Amino acid sequence: MSRSASILRRRESLAAGTMVAPALLVTMVFALYPVLDSLWLSLHDIFIGLPQLGSPFVGLHNYAALLRDPVAQQALCVTLAFVVLSTLLELACGLIIALVIHEQFRGRGLVRAAILIPWAIPTGVASQLWRYIFNDQYGFANLLLFGERITDYIPWLAYPGMAFGIIVLADVWKTSSFAALLILAGLQVIPDDLYDAARVDGATVWQRFRHITLPLLKPALLLALLFRTMDAFRVFDLVFVMTQGGPGDATQVLQFYGYQTLFTEGRIGYGSAVSVAVFLMILALSLTYLRAIGSSLLERRRT
Amino acid sequence: MRWISFSQRIPRISVSPPRVPRWFGLLALLLTVLSVGRPQAESAPQPGAGTPTTPITLRFVSWKPDHPRVWDEALAEFTKAYPHISVVRELAPHSSTAYHDLLTQKLKNRDTTVDVFFMDVIWVPEFAEAGWAHRLDERLAPAMREQFLPATIEVGRYSDHLYGVPSRIDAGLLYYRSDLLTKYGFSPPTTWDELARQAETIVTGEQSTNPTLRGYTAQFKQYEGLVCNLLEFIHGHGGSLLTADGTHSTLAQPEALAAVQFVRDRVIGGLASRAALTYQEPASLSVFLQGHAVFHRNWPYAWELTNNRTRSTIAGQVAVMPLPGLTEGRTAAALGGWLYGISAYSQHPDEAWALIEFLSGRAMQKKFAQEAGIAPSRQALFSDPDLLVVAPQLRNYLDVLRSATTRPRSPLYPAVSHALQRYFSRALAIDGLDLAQEAAVTDAHIDRLLALTGMTP
Repeated sequence: MSRSASILRRRESLAAGTMVAPALLVTMVFALYPVLDSLWLSLHDIFIGLPQLGSPFVGLHNYAALLRDPVAQQALCVTLAFVVLSTLLELACGLIIALVIHEQFRGRGLVRAAILIPWAIPTGVASQLWRYIFNDQYGFANLLLFGERITDYIPWLAYPGMAFGIIVLADVWKTSSFAALLILAGLQVIPDDLYDAARVDGATVWQRFRHITLPLLKPALLLALLFRTMDAFRVFDLVFVMTQGGPGDATQVLQFYGYQTLFTEGRIGYGSAVSVAVFLMILALSLTYLRAIGSSLLERRRT
Repeated sequence: MRWISFSQRIPRISVSPPRVPRWFGLLALLLTVLSVGRPQAESAPQPGAGTPTTPITLRFVSWKPDHPRVWDEALAEFTKAYPHISVVRELAPHSSTAYHDLLTQKLKNRDTTVDVFFMDVIWVPEFAEAGWAHRLDERLAPAMREQFLPATIEVGRYSDHLYGVPSRIDAGLLYYRSDLLTKYGFSPPTTWDELARQAETIVTGEQSTNPTLRGYTAQFKQYEGLVCNLLEFIHGHGGSLLTADGTHSTLAQPEALAAVQFVRDRVIGGLASRAALTYQEPASLSVFLQGHAVFHRNWPYAWELTNNRTRSTIAGQVAVMPLPGLTEGRTAAALGGWLYGISAYSQHPDEAWALIEFLSGRAMQKKFAQEAGIAPSRQALFSDPDLLVVAPQLRNYLDVLRSATTRPRSPLYPAVSHALQRYFSRALAIDGLDLAQEAAVTDAHIDRLLALTGMTP
């Protein structure tokens, strides 16, 4: 490598650094600092209601307590069940939606726009909507199923299993279109000649989907999976608006538990430990996914 | 090189950024505009020109009131009496917990834009220990204190200091359909067994004309109100939530267990629809107002609404009485209510006090009682002839209010309450749950919390 080339490279990296700096700074201030601060707080015992206890450093005590906390364990189970169920359903629905709106048909633009509406509605509003739909007295679900037979009306949200199912349903309704958008982008980069060639070779629709669409869609699917998993892990608004964790803790998810301990109970140290734990789990998950997606993407870029 | 040939086997698909359709940008823009919406008009009233003293703006953080008109009028009268003080209200959600979280968030940040706030009676220890509320020992003289119901002053005190002035008093009451009880020849029930028998007869008898009629409606959602409802059952059976010295949780005691068992086996899905597991006050009241329940547990504010002909189908057919006990001769009402407090970070504590004195004064409490159906905290109003004409039910309240039961008093009450809510909700919602074991686990958890507070009674 010649000397001038190395100077050029250094200059280039300096320019790159300068351009990246603002974004990096913003990330530092708004992402890294809160995370580190939470981490620091989680190593202390702080009770807002008991300032006389001070804020003693307790090391990893809060994390040890978290591991033994039956409420947190239950919340973790609920969260994981929510993540797996909602993510899989969203990918399935998203794939179907994407395949439909990828086709050419009259009014496609309108359909595409309509499909995005659930995603554009603020989650708080959507949650309220679903709460009304499943209301025991004037809910639309009951009207649809039983019409005027009001004695048969079901109090959906009063059953632990159903309340959980409704939270999943609301999330699937709301975010499938987001998954669809990512998958649609993936569909659009699959070259048409592949399909043409397959058609010439006599491949059926299913064979084309199975051997062309699905494999080539893998990066997009993985990306959608990554985004949806991270998001599902952080589920909060649906629970906050619809059930407040009830009935009987059936919809108590980790983020809501963290919120309760931090903001309502004023247990700053322990609440921070809950948030940090959620953060670490999401981080671990993302890194695993990124390795799966990223490696192949990077390899490809290099060629 | 090997790695190049390896990578070449991967299908070469350009990973250009996903093509986003053109309409998307427009849609996003449109939705952003829609979701931002119109800004809330929050115009601070300007103090009148030529006021003698420097104009001051007080900020009053409050929940969204049930009767906004009465509140607007009350504050307008205050500004008339104190022209140099204007009051800006900051409204938080109706839910007590949501209001708590918003208010304490401000106080944690030492927000100087909070002067006066409402404090739920259960928050006093927390606010006192955290140093968020001004001490009012000097301001509310002993002679003034005596004018209030003793229980309402008592809940405003914490370790020998006073932090709140009672705006009202709340306690659980039993509302019932007097027309239906008369029709079937029943006198108001004093025990839950009696109530259940009456309800059964009435519901069966009314089956043909009102198939959705249930015996009872109350608040059993997983939230603060659940604690109040269950406390009433437990105390009404001779049990308690804590030991008398307030240091240990007593949910696993036989009386407390039996009371929870009763609610689970007889009330949820029996006397009351299972839907009660999703009810807070408004939903449970609406069931009653629509004539779908014979008995209803609620706070005093519900009286005005049950007799409000535009909102209630049963106006004039309702009476109110103390809640029955599970055991004969016992009755328990959870004590609630809201206290006015002054923020420790307020820059205008004197003006804030003027506002509190005005709002908690006799004239304003009378106004709230007459026009909003709120039970006053001043004893004299319970025998005020004008008031008794429009609110005759007040006469029935006094005994209930005097003997109302407080919830555990601890600076960590929100944490204690969450543990209680969890236990009660799980007990009522999950079939076949081992109550005794669940109660023991909850007891141990609450004991640990109470131990932290260093034995605060």
